[in-house]
Amino acid sequence: MHRILIMIPTLIAISIVIFIIINLPQGNYFTTYIAELQESGEPADLAKIHFLETEYGFDRPLWEQYLFWVGGLLRGDLGYSFSYNLPVAKVVGDRLFLTFLVSFTTIVFTYLVAFPIGVYSATHQYSWMDHCLTLVGFLGLATPSFLFALVLLYLANVYFGISIGGLMDPQYIDQPWTWGKIFSVLAHIWIPVIVIGTAGTASMIRRLRANLLDELQKQYVVTARAKGLPPLRALFKYPLRMALNPFISDIGSLLPHIISGAAIVSVVMSLPTTGPMLLEALRSQDMYLAGSFLMFMSFLTVIGVFVSDLALAVLDPRIRLQAGRRR
Amino acid sequence: MRRIGLVVALLAVVPGAARAELQETPFFEQDVTGGKLSRLHERLPSDPAVAGLETVGNPGGELRMLMSGPKDTRMMVVYGYARLVGYTPALKLLPDILAAVDVQDGRVFTLRLRSGHKWSDGHPFTSEDFRYWFEDVAQNSQLSPSGLPVTLMVQGELPRFEVLDETTIRYTWTRPNPLFLPALAGADPLYIYCPSHYLKQFHEKFADKAALESLVKKSNQRNWAALHARMDTMYRNDNPNLPSLEPWVLKTKPPSDRFIFERNPYYYRIDDAGHQLPYIDRVVMSIADSKIIPAKTGAGESDLQARYLRFDNYTFLKNSAERNKYSVRLWRTGPGSQLALYPNLNVNDETWRALMRDLRFRRALSLAVNRHEINQAIYFGLAIEGQNTLLPQSPLYEPDYRSASANFDLREANRLLDEIGLTKRDAEGMRLLPDNRPLEIIVENSGESTEQSDVLELIRDSWRHIGIRLFAKPLQLTLFRRRVFSGETLMSIDKGIENGLATAAMPPWEFAPTSQQQLQWPKWGQYYETKGKSGEAPDLHSAVRLKELYDDWLGTALQPDQSRIWHAMLQIWADKIFSIGTVAGVLQPIVVSDRLHNVPEEGFYNWDPGAFFGIFKPDTFWLDPSDTSAKSAAAGISPPMQP
Repeated sequence: MHRILIMIPTLIAISIVIFIIINLPQGNYFTTYIAELQESGEPADLAKIHFLETEYGFDRPLWEQYLFWVGGLLRGDLGYSFSYNLPVAKVVGDRLFLTFLVSFTTIVFTYLVAFPIGVYSATHQYSWMDHCLTLVGFLGLATPSFLFALVLLYLANVYFGISIGGLMDPQYIDQPWTWGKIFSVLAHIWIPVIVIGTAGTASMIRRLRANLLDELQKQYVVTARAKGLPPLRALFKYPLRMALNPFISDIGSLLPHIISGAAIVSVVMSLPTTGPMLLEALRSQDMYLAGSFLMFMSFLTVIGVFVSDLALAVLDPRIRLQAGRRR
Repeated sequence: MRRIGLVVALLAVVPGAARAELQETPFFEQDVTGGKLSRLHERLPSDPAVAGLETVGNPGGELRMLMSGPKDTRMMVVYGYARLVGYTPALKLLPDILAAVDVQDGRVFTLRLRSGHKWSDGHPFTSEDFRYWFEDVAQNSQLSPSGLPVTLMVQGELPRFEVLDETTIRYTWTRPNPLFLPALAGADPLYIYCPSHYLKQFHEKFADKAALESLVKKSNQRNWAALHARMDTMYRNDNPNLPSLEPWVLKTKPPSDRFIFERNPYYYRIDDAGHQLPYIDRVVMSIADSKIIPAKTGAGESDLQARYLRFDNYTFLKNSAERNKYSVRLWRTGPGSQLALYPNLNVNDETWRALMRDLRFRRALSLAVNRHEINQAIYFGLAIEGQNTLLPQSPLYEPDYRSASANFDLREANRLLDEIGLTKRDAEGMRLLPDNRPLEIIVENSGESTEQSDVLELIRDSWRHIGIRLFAKPLQLTLFRRRVFSGETLMSIDKGIENGLATAAMPPWEFAPTSQQQLQWPKWGQYYETKGKSGEAPDLHSAVRLKELYDDWLGTALQPDQSRIWHAMLQIWADKIFSIGTVAGVLQPIVVSDRLHNVPEEGFYNWDPGAFFGIFKPDTFWLDPSDTSAKSAAAGISPPMQP
């Protein structure tokens, strides 16, 4: 209960910070829009823009705009996106599913690859395989993912004829789901998954290895071994569980990650996910789109942290809030 | 009554007889036989516009293009270029949607529509659409709080608007309005009409109150005016329900990453063989990030692409041209200078302001720019060197305008600076200002491209030789403009004048202080724009003179006078070096699929006049049906991966 209540002031604080930061750069969506138009030589219809500005209350004081926005949020109204000329919920909605798909696949990929490698290199520390895998891991960590993305895109296009960027061949966009579309998505999704996944995989391998090494040297492990526990059981039953704690607390940041996708990679590969949309919204000062979306993500983070707290508490009795108090 | 009917029928038949027989478009055949669509001769105006073409094409096919955002749906209105009057590639202004325009003394404009012309939903396009716009939209205080567009106001005077009959409208001013027709022909045109039969359902005056209320609610708008504005997006082109006169009509409801435009069954143009234009059935616009568009184009994912391609993509594009069956053409761009330096004559710092306003100083800076080096190093020597002024394609061009003070002469530059009295130097031999500050010029830019920093790098080297240090300072676009406007910026670099192809009939506003956007005198421009409410009145003789000349131009309707004023302005511009040009006519790569025909080999790529492809009328571009199937199969489903 305590944890739930503390979420409320947190969210309010976040909303204020988001609103202030979005409004920090001078001007608003329309001034940015005018500047962009004029940069490309198009004259902007100033009268129309003035009309829109008053229509959306840009001439009112900031706190009034803030209350208007938050009031809308509470009623489930995310506001209006100027660059799309549509309600925010509509703009975001269409992209959520694909973002979810990419991120979820990436996470599964990361876990599938990182776990065995991490455990292996911890139990076989300084073997040549450990060194090899570590090297690969570092390469993954050190290569800028956007560069990696470009290289893979090029190769995929030249050798497999896969269209560059996007999550499916162009003719499937906005079409109902058919087998052809699913295959097309499958043919495209592996590149972003590998690219976004490698950095995560590498850091996960390192963390798992380090955590596990710590645990493996503790006395209870030695005792367990000395008592003749089979080696695998001696590994999985205790030390691995202990090494998992950081991953569970990671769930908190995992939730917003699933929604936001990896923005930079998505921009480079022009994936139809929410990341590029958020970036564009921030750049063009599309206030409600950016604000509401960030708010949504913060909300998910807070929920995620809450869930991971609970999960940790379930898994590891040492962490429970109440437990400390009772003692 | 009967006789009049007969005459109309005769009129309708006679032009038809002179032509080849009309041929129904295959795309619509099913709908026509199924009775869903009327036959072609009923859909066309009685006197359709006939496109004189070198090669008559085949109707059909799907054209793929790449764009970077949902806002780019407006590019179809630009490319489509169906205007009341429009420019031809030779920059002649001719009636296009209109059957005829009659102009008296440059102040009485009689527009005649094609009888039987219809909107894309089949509803007649008549003078009512003009009346609705003029009376119920442009003069409605809620829809247009600031009143009529400025181009319709001649010194604050409204035109007299008359509907003469169903297809004839007249606008009358007491003074000439030379801005009127060019505005109608713009790439982003002045719309003086709109589909009234569709928009009336959103207008307070015409719609049923309860129905309108529920529409406003349903679409999440604040009131009927906002809803009307949301629906009336003729230029923005993001409402698939809005009837249109363009060759292709939006079919996809935003948001999407793939927009489909389908041919307009009521389009008003035909070719010599009796095909209704456009030839191409469908235009498919895929949305991708602008930075990935050159790569996607190189992979053959676009049939016609110029937007978001830059000159430095040329080699890459050329490299995969053969593999992906397209050609890369190079068209000249229209700005007067690819990049130009703008000394801010309104800078706040007084010492600097005096210096910037000293013609000798500006001339010295211009003489110390090595344009040949910039051309060779960055543009492979393919660009045109010189000042920021009109291009050779313009009928008003004279070589002197471009070459004035554009030669590279460090000795003369140094002499001029010494003459001003900037003789004090610091330990490194760099000049000092009269108040002993170092003579360092910070050139601000919008940081959009590496091109700007490359050019500045070269200028910095040559300016060192005249004892001036240059620093480049990239800024975020909005901030950049704000600083220039407020006089904090000393000098900026940006695109040169927009229209380097001007004819005498086009307004010379870019050469006079008329807009805040003019980076060399933002405050004077603001003064003009706001009619003296903010900004500063120009106090430099030559700038005042330019403004006077511009006002003279606005007051004249005669071509010789217009031409004389243009030359006077260009001469002042050349003498006074208000902006320092580098190179112009930089080439724009145009990627054209091998199966796309009628795209000119040589062209120019310009916003206004030009509308990019619009001036070459993309409704006449056609796709080779012979390799359509092969190509679309290859571009469609990717070949299965080898196991």
